[in-house]
Amino acid sequence: MWQRIREIYAYREMLKNLVSKELRARYKGSILGFFWTFFNPLLMLIVYSFVFSFVMRSGIKNYSMFLFVALLPWNYLSSSILQGAASLVRNASLIKKVYFPREVLPLSVVLANLINYLLSLLILIPALLLFKIRLTWPLLAFPLVLLVETILVASLTLLVSVGNVYFRDLEHIIGVFMTAWFFLTPVVYSADTVPPNAKKFFSLNPAAHIIEAYRDIFYEGIWPDWEALLYVGLGCLILFWISLLAFQRWQKEIAEEI
Amino acid sequence: MTKEIPNEIAIEVKDVWKKFRLYHEKTYSLKERILFWGRNKAEDFWALKGINLTIPKGSTVGLIGRNGSGKSTLLKIISRILYPTRGEVKINGRVSTLLELGAGFHPDFTGRENIFLNASILGLNRKEIKERLDDIIAFAELGDFIDNPVRNYSSGMYMRLGFAVAVHVDAEILLIDEVLAVGDLAFKEKCLAKIKELQKKGTTIILVSHAPKQVEELCHFAVWLDRGEIKAQGGAKEVTKAYKEFIGSG
Repeated sequence: MWQRIREIYAYREMLKNLVSKELRARYKGSILGFFWTFFNPLLMLIVYSFVFSFVMRSGIKNYSMFLFVALLPWNYLSSSILQGAASLVRNASLIKKVYFPREVLPLSVVLANLINYLLSLLILIPALLLFKIRLTWPLLAFPLVLLVETILVASLTLLVSVGNVYFRDLEHIIGVFMTAWFFLTPVVYSADTVPPNAKKFFSLNPAAHIIEAYRDIFYEGIWPDWEALLYVGLGCLILFWISLLAFQRWQKEIAEEI
Repeated sequence: MTKEIPNEIAIEVKDVWKKFRLYHEKTYSLKERILFWGRNKAEDFWALKGINLTIPKGSTVGLIGRNGSGKSTLLKIISRILYPTRGEVKINGRVSTLLELGAGFHPDFTGRENIFLNASILGLNRKEIKERLDDIIAFAELGDFIDNPVRNYSSGMYMRLGFAVAVHVDAEILLIDEVLAVGDLAFKEKCLAKIKELQKKGTTIILVSHAPKQVEELCHFAVWLDRGEIKAQGGAKEVTKAYKEFIGSG
């Protein structure tokens, strides 16, 4: 297994090139080009602010910000998994013709989305200040929260990418699943509004703890729940290990199944 | 053409078997797999049956045989694109495969950008690519086109760039599958010259070819595959002669 990880590391140049290809090719040929990376979250922000400040007023203070700090990391998770599901099948011709550690393909999708998320912070931070939400020390926990989320995202993306080779409709099933998962995670609502008898069930959702942690550090200005974060982090590490093993086992036949 | 062969081993193929499942109607969806559980009739097809092969370092080996004899499957197993059903392959050194030239090129990127992309897919890091960049550009003979998007390239230019990148990886082991049939005559000559140069440098080369003449010309050894088994192996001349006689009579 360590040998496998070393081999993936040896192909880091390929990983890097695929990520930049992904980021550049997405907006290549459009007039605004790379600025679309910022336009998407900005537009999203304007629409939400308008709707939730004037149309559908919420009891939560600064609801658009409350939503925005959770929605951005959720989008990182969900678009990685959705795009990652197709990453092997879409590159079938490459897989059939060249040897390289196949993990590079789904991982490049995760990294590209991670960079997109980090760039969207350049919109989020000024917006927070504009809404007079103060940036506080707990923001120092951000790298840790991001790391935990990234391990979770990488694990799931590896699993769905190789699963999709064998079951092509997995891609569509995941689409439905992600919608359900979205509403079961406190993105649009606060975790406090979950009824007490359902709390146990909700706490099994790793994404819930991660999203809560983002909201704590960005919006509430408090330190995240360390204990929950520790459990989720350990769980994600175990899941990551399992995903690598499963990927390694199933990837052997993809060149002929694809 | 007799050459000294060093004794060290580059590739060892040990009792390799490869089974493909041929589905009459391949079902990819989860729904269909559950609904038609067990009804998915598949036939097993053994593409390779117990191949044993030892390839010394620095030698050039030609794989010949008719269509469907398992040549390409064997090459793909050695390059780790496919995994053997049984048996194992031991490899000593970095492998570069020329199955398709310019695999992974992005049409919107320039030739230069694609060199970086393609070479990294073949396993080079940034420093190694930069060291080879000038040689690759010179070899591909693209002139100013190197900074144009490759979608504007003719198919010949595309192939030239792909070949240039692949042979400059400086792999210890080079696997070639019928790609020498590309480009115009002048470029073909250049490719052959490059292969001879790599031979002199001690690169181990495995060549899949339909043309016995090419195998005779380039290879030390030849392996004749027929229906997944080795029918003959040995000196390139003798094996290709036997193969030509077989083809002529059959």
